[in-house]
Amino acid sequence: MTSLVDSWRLKVQHKSGFEYAGTVTSSYNEARMWPRNDARQAVLDAKIEVWPPARTYQYEDYWGTVVTAFDVHAGHDKLTVTASSTVETLPPGDLLSGGLDWGFDTDRWYEFLLPTRRTRLNDELTAIVAELRARHDNPQDAAMAVCEFVRSEVAYVPGATGVQSDALHAWEQRKGVCQDLSHLAAGMLRALGLPARYVSGYLHPKPSAEIGESVVGQSHAWVEWWAGRWTSYDPTNGVPIGHRHVLVGRGREYGDVPPLKGIYAGPKSTGQGVEVTITRLR
Amino acid sequence: MADLFEEYRLGPGWDEMFAELGVPRASYEALHATLQPLSSAELGVRAEVLARAFLDQGITFALKGVERPFPLDIVPRIIAAAEWRGVEVGVAQRIRALEAFLADVYGAGQVLADGVVPRRIIATSAHYLRAAAGITPPNGVRVHVAGVDLIRDEQGTFRVLEDNVRIPSGVSYVMENRRAMAQVLPEVFAATRILPVESYPAMLLTALRAAAPAGISDPAVVVLSPGVYNSAYFEHAMIAREMGVELVEGRDLVCVGNAVAMRTTAGEQRVDVIYRRIDDDFLDPVHFRADSVIGVAGLLNAARAGRVTIANAVGNGVADDKLLYTYVPELIRYYLNEEPLLPNVDTYRLDEPGVLEHVLDRLDELVLKPVDGAGGAGIVIGSQAMRHELDAVREKIVANPRGWIAQREVKLSMVPTLIGDRLRGRHVDLRPFAVNDGEKIWVLPGGLTRVALPEGELVVNSSQGGGSKDTWVLASPTSPVGEPVPIPVAGPVPSAPAAPPDPGPGQAPAEEQQQQQQ
Repeated sequence: MTSLVDSWRLKVQHKSGFEYAGTVTSSYNEARMWPRNDARQAVLDAKIEVWPPARTYQYEDYWGTVVTAFDVHAGHDKLTVTASSTVETLPPGDLLSGGLDWGFDTDRWYEFLLPTRRTRLNDELTAIVAELRARHDNPQDAAMAVCEFVRSEVAYVPGATGVQSDALHAWEQRKGVCQDLSHLAAGMLRALGLPARYVSGYLHPKPSAEIGESVVGQSHAWVEWWAGRWTSYDPTNGVPIGHRHVLVGRGREYGDVPPLKGIYAGPKSTGQGVEVTITRLR
Repeated sequence: MADLFEEYRLGPGWDEMFAELGVPRASYEALHATLQPLSSAELGVRAEVLARAFLDQGITFALKGVERPFPLDIVPRIIAAAEWRGVEVGVAQRIRALEAFLADVYGAGQVLADGVVPRRIIATSAHYLRAAAGITPPNGVRVHVAGVDLIRDEQGTFRVLEDNVRIPSGVSYVMENRRAMAQVLPEVFAATRILPVESYPAMLLTALRAAAPAGISDPAVVVLSPGVYNSAYFEHAMIAREMGVELVEGRDLVCVGNAVAMRTTAGEQRVDVIYRRIDDDFLDPVHFRADSVIGVAGLLNAARAGRVTIANAVGNGVADDKLLYTYVPELIRYYLNEEPLLPNVDTYRLDEPGVLEHVLDRLDELVLKPVDGAGGAGIVIGSQAMRHELDAVREKIVANPRGWIAQREVKLSMVPTLIGDRLRGRHVDLRPFAVNDGEKIWVLPGGLTRVALPEGELVVNSSQGGGSKDTWVLASPTSPVGEPVPIPVAGPVPSAPAAPPDPGPGQAPAEEQQQQQQ
C-alpha cells in the first residue's frame, strides 16, 4: 500500500461560464471538471453547481472521465458552472528511469497511436522525431527528449492560441499554451511509436505552496505515454506529475476531455470566463 | 402473338426460374404456367396498371436529387419454403452474433482483448462512436431492425453481401409491392400459397414496445424522421401510420432532464421509444454534429440514463463497416459457438500484409468497395471499369487500404424481368428484414428484391437506379399459411431447414407480446 504521508491536500475551485448578448432559452451542456480517483490521487470530495439552477446527470464516459450533464430551460443571459473538489495528491514517483526497450506490446493502446486533428504533425516534425529516436536507445529517453524538445522550441505564452488551436499552429508560431504543448508532445510521442494520452486537469502554480493560501491556479494539460508502462510528464513545465497536479480526464486530445462544452438556442456568446482557485489544505 | 419468353437466354448467373431453357424449377411452375400463354401486349397492359398504381400512391425514390418512381417489375421472385428456412435461420444467426459483438465493443471489449477482431479495425472505424459506450439498452437489443443484404451465387447458394444494422430502408416497398401485385396477377395468387408480409408493422411495434425503458407498462412509441425532403419519407410515414404511432421530426421532440416529450396540440406527451430514421451523425447535436437541425438535443444522454430507447441503437455502424463484415463468420463462432449458416462473399482484407499487392495486380477482375459506402456508392466492378476508373480507384486504395475491401465478382442470380415487351434475365439481390424483440428474431418472409434493369448490370442498389420485384416465399407444403416461426435469440437454432410447425392462431408472436405487457 502506498502511504499518503507525503501527500498534499488540494482544494480546487473551477468556475467556468458563458455570457450571451441576450436571453438564451435552452441550453445543453457537459462538464468534465470532476477529478477522478487514480493511482496517484484520491478524490475526497467533489461537487458541481450550475447557475441558473439545473438538475445534473453524471456518467463515466468512454475514456473514464466523470461527466456532469445538464440542461437549462429557464431564460438566462449568463451560465455558470462551478466545480469544487478536494483531492489528495502524491509526489512524483520513480517515473523517469530508462532501461525499457522497444519490444513492448502496444495493441491494447492502439487508438493512442493514431494522429488526431489537434495532434497531427507535418513532415518537418516527423523528421525531427526520427532523429530523436535514432539518438536514444530506449523509449523512455526518447520520450523525455521529445518533451524537452517541445519545451525548448515552443514558448509557453498564455493567450497565444485559442481553444481550437492545434499542434501545428503552435509549432509554426513557436508559442502556445499548455494545451498546445501537450498536443505537440502527444503527436511526437505517437510518431515515436509510443501510445500517448492527452491529460486534462489542474496545476498548483507554486512548487512551495503555503498551506492555507488560496492562489490563482489554472486548467492544465499534460501527457502520458506507454512504453510497457505508463509515464506521466508535464512538458509545459518540464516536470514529472506530482503534488501540484490534479487529474480530471484522459483522451486522445483536447476534444475528448473539454472542461465545458454545449449547445444552446439564443443570441451569440459574448464572453467566456474561467477562474481556477487552488488552495493547499495540508 | 409473340411469346414472352422468346429469345430468353440463360445468363452468367444462377437462373432462379429455369433449371434449363423452357423448364421451370418447381417453385416457379405456377407462375410460369400463367405467364407462358400471355401475350406481351396483355402483360404490358398489366405492367402499366402496376406502374400507374405506384405513381398514384406517390411511391418514388430520390436518385441524385430527382424523385422518380422505383419501378416494380411484374414478374415476382419466388423462394421455396425450405430455401427460405435456410435464409431465416442464417439471417437470425448473423444478428445474434452482431448483437453480441455490439454489446462487447461498447462494453468490455473482450473480442478485442482475445484478438478475434484486431483492435485497429475498431479504433479506425468511422462509425465506432465512443459517445455510445456505456449505454445499455433496456432489453439488450441494439439491432431492432436489420436488413441483411443477400445474393445468390453461380451455384444458387445464398451469401451475405453486407449487413445493415443502422437504419435499413425499403420495407415499405415490400408491403406496397405485395398489394399492387395481388391486383395484377390474381390468378397466380389464387394458385400459390404465399406467406403474407402485412404483419411487419405489428412485429416492429411489438419489438419497439419490448425495448421500452424498465417500468413502463404502456410505452409511447414514435417514428422520428428527418422530414419530407428525405428520400425515404414515404416509408417513415407509412410505417408510423401502419403501427398507429406518431410520426415526428426533431423539432417535435424535447429533452428536459433526460425525459423526452413530444409537443402536441394537447400539450407535451412523454415518449419512451424512438424508432429513428435519422443517421447517428445528425441525431443529437450535443454529441454529434452540432450544426444538425433535424436532431434532438440531449437524446443520447436520455438513452444513457435509461429514460428513452433509441432504435436502432446509436453506434451500430461499426458492425456495418465492410472490413468488419469479413470477421462476422469468426464472430459467429466466437460468440455463438456455431458454424455460419450463410457464407460471406470471398473478400480480401487490404490492411493485411501482402494482400494489397496481390489485389492491385488483379483490380480488373475484382469488385472494389469503400468500407463505409452506402447505397452502392463508390463501388467499382473491375471487369466493367474503364482504364481511368481503375487507375483512380487504385490511387484511392493505395492511399487508404483500410478504407476499401476487394471481393470476388459474383455473377448474381437472375430472374426473368419485363424489358420492353419481352422477358429477359436480370440480376437480383435480396434484403430480408429482421426484427429483434429481445426474445425472438422474426424475419419478414420475403424482403426486398432489387433488380438491376440494364443488361449485365451487377449493382442492384435502388440508389443506382434499379427496380424491385415482389418476393414470394412459398408456404411449406406441410403447414398452412401462417406466421413463420421466429428464432429464439438465445439457445440453439435448428440448422437444418425444417418444416416449421404451425404456431396456431393464439401463438402468433405479436399476441404473445401483448399478453406479456398486460
